[in-house]
Amino acid sequence: MPGRKAILTLGVLLLTSPLFGVVMAEAIGYHEPLDLVAEELGLSESDVEWTPLRDYTFPGLPDWLGYIVSGALGVLLILLTGYTLRLVVVGRV
Amino acid sequence: MHIPDGYLSVPVAVGSFIASLAFVVTAARRVSLKQGLSVEGISLMTALSAGIFVAQMIAWPIPGGTSLHLVGGALAGIILGPWLGVLSMALVLTVQCLVFHDGGITALGANVLNMGVVAVLIGYSLFRFLGGGRRPLIAGLVAGWLSLLLAGVSCGVELSVSWGSVLPVYVMGLWHALLGSVEGVITGSVIAYLRVKESRLGWS
Repeated sequence: MPGRKAILTLGVLLLTSPLFGVVMAEAIGYHEPLDLVAEELGLSESDVEWTPLRDYTFPGLPDWLGYIVSGALGVLLILLTGYTLRLVVVGRV
Repeated sequence: MHIPDGYLSVPVAVGSFIASLAFVVTAARRVSLKQGLSVEGISLMTALSAGIFVAQMIAWPIPGGTSLHLVGGALAGIILGPWLGVLSMALVLTVQCLVFHDGGITALGANVLNMGVVAVLIGYSLFRFLGGGRRPLIAGLVAGWLSLLLAGVSCGVELSVSWGSVLPVYVMGLWHALLGSVEGVITGSVIAYLRVKESRLGWS
């Protein structure tokens, strides 16, 4: 599992992430090269939904806080997957 | 570069899913059978995956143009090795897709292929080819840059094949040739920093 320094770094990045992913994205606009291709080809995203956490939002929370909570949840899921894998490997040894 | 649902034709979506699944299964078998999956290796993979996940959330909008964020494929390949790197990126991309709808579920195969296979294997191979153990900054910079460029081109090829137009390859290739420089600077800097701090990674 990550050490204390790594967790601290992750925490700082998570807390500052809404500045980039929400505040600046809303002020300036988020536009990837893929969006340029989609505009040129007239492609549109299909409406299939399978999660209430779409685009790192969290139901009932403002976007900036939802972004942080979603990020923390994502990190937790990855750490849990790693922990489970670790248990499997230790069990094998 | 996360392709959403509806951007790929069915044959391309299915083909890229089969290809990426083959790489992920190969990676899992290589890691568990040939290299031996150690507890330390899992810990490093987990920490790096979490770091890449958060780093991808920090996207810089560029006024009048586009946005950029670290993809981290080259970083994963260089630090973890090619196969554990593929598994690390596959884990990040799967969580992003299934939990946060970042990338389409029908395009998950293509996204893993571009950012989890092409970026990782190109980044790792170039770093080794350029003697990254002796000059981690320069080798990491070039590996990071070309990994993103070729991942972008790979994405462009999938869109081009889907819709019979060469435009996606040009647009994705040109933009990622520019954006890749930032990926290169971050990759080279992180690797050079880690090289100084950590001598156990066996890059020589």
